Amino acid sequence: MGYVSASRRRSPPCPCPDPGTLPAVHALEITDLTKVYDDGTEALADLSLVVPDGGFHGLLGPNGSGKSTLIGIVTGLVRGPAGHVRVFGHDAVADPRRARTLVGLAPQEVHLDRFLTAREVLSYHGRYFGMQKADAEARADELLAAFDLEGKAGTRPHRLSGGMRRRLLIARALVHRPRLAILDEPTAGVDLELRQDLWKYLSRLRDEQRTSILLTTHYLEEAEALCDRISMIQGGRIVAEGTVPELIDRFGGPRLEDAYLRVMRGAAAGVGS
Amino acid sequence: MSPGAPRPAPGDGAGAAATVPDSRLGEAELRAASRRGTAALSGREVRRVTKLWTQTILPPVVTAVLFMAVFGGALGGELRQVSGIQYLWFILPGLLVTTVSGQAFANASTSLYQARNEGYIDDVLSSPLRSAEVVLSYMVGGLYRGWITAGIVAACALPFVEGVENWLLAIVVLMLTGIIFSALGVITGIWADSFDQQAFIAALIITPLALLGGVFYSVETLSEPWRTLTMFDPIYYLVDAERAGITGLHESAVWLSVLVAAVVAVVVTLWAVRMFRTGRRLRP
Repeated sequence: MGYVSASRRRSPPCPCPDPGTLPAVHALEITDLTKVYDDGTEALADLSLVVPDGGFHGLLGPNGSGKSTLIGIVTGLVRGPAGHVRVFGHDAVADPRRARTLVGLAPQEVHLDRFLTAREVLSYHGRYFGMQKADAEARADELLAAFDLEGKAGTRPHRLSGGMRRRLLIARALVHRPRLAILDEPTAGVDLELRQDLWKYLSRLRDEQRTSILLTTHYLEEAEALCDRISMIQGGRIVAEGTVPELIDRFGGPRLEDAYLRVMRGAAAGVGS
Repeated sequence: MSPGAPRPAPGDGAGAAATVPDSRLGEAELRAASRRGTAALSGREVRRVTKLWTQTILPPVVTAVLFMAVFGGALGGELRQVSGIQYLWFILPGLLVTTVSGQAFANASTSLYQARNEGYIDDVLSSPLRSAEVVLSYMVGGLYRGWITAGIVAACALPFVEGVENWLLAIVVLMLTGIIFSALGVITGIWADSFDQQAFIAALIITPLALLGGVFYSVETLSEPWRTLTMFDPIYYLVDAERAGITGLHESAVWLSVLVAAVVAVVVTLWAVRMFRTGRRLRP
């Protein structure tokens, strides 16, 4: 199985816009985002967040802090928020088609179409995003090789191991060559060896293709190793933000974990920063 | 690198992404992408029907053929004629309408509910496809299943009846039937919160309405209150119009039935699109 050159140029098979010469815009710009569910639960409260183009941004927070709601709003899986969400300048609520074309999502839960094979999961995803059939199939083969799933191309997802399903899910998010990849706990339940391989892959994705990445994780060493900036969220609000050294410097502790715990305990006690 | 390790990132290459994407994504390009996406999701639905043919196509064909064998063959000898025509010929239109309605409904509702229940609908919901395009795709699956099944049933029956009086009318009625019930299937697939709710609609509303829609009898032979009740069954008008197309025999104003069916088809399709767009059951 040969490597696929990361520098090989391909014509964009999906309607992702060609690189242009417009002034830089942020990959993701969220302003005053509020979401109240029908049962009255306030999941997000005036949340603002910026992921710069080409940035690797970590979103850390406990379960129920609003991370998945935030991701759901950006990707169209959660409706009716108040506030503004812009993906490369496109309003993700008012103009969702253009925004979604630019986003690839690897959700936290592994839900894969049980009627399709692994290869079809990828190629159909690309086609839903507007890729030509032949391009989508070629891209599927490319990603199957990249994620070492070639031997499972004809296998249905429920016959794959947990680690393979997780890899397939991440591969699916990248089929249409998104400019912003949103990875919701991509290494949850993955063994250490594969996790470190995924780290390398994601770093290369950002460095070589300049894909902007928004990552949520409960593994703080993962955020520390990968992210240029980190936002900490609790109770639907961003309670701290900065680079790893900035956060450690501001909140103390030799590691990000110490700073995280102090921020969360402070936020829980109503001392947001 | 260990087995299972992702290899270097494939794709456009570093040079392709050196600048910010152009925000002026063309409308024509988006439309072309939408067409491809809709074709892909429709193809996925058709593929599901074909892959599961022992569950989706074979049972309704066997059921309809058994109805024809029992009522048209075994009992047909006793009944001989209804309203002046061969009994098998009389019941064929109703069997085709009930087959299309039942299968179109079942496919759209089951496939959509299954995608919701198992969570893989998110792949579609997070795509750039519009609500109308997703609804259309799920309807295509229902239409394919309904029409292919009815086509097989018709192919089995037509050699034993006198023929088709008005092909155009017969086909138009089956098309409208398919559209109405696949749209209702989409609505049910969005609305249902459990397989029980979905099965309830199919078993206690769609099937009784279909069987009481004058498939096996002429409404003129019924006594009250059954006659009046049948007149309130919307499927009766589809069966009657289809019967007009296949046998030339009808009891109500055919073109009025077709017109009303066309209006209903548009209304339920728009309703399905609206339900999908507002998405209370699809998106929290």
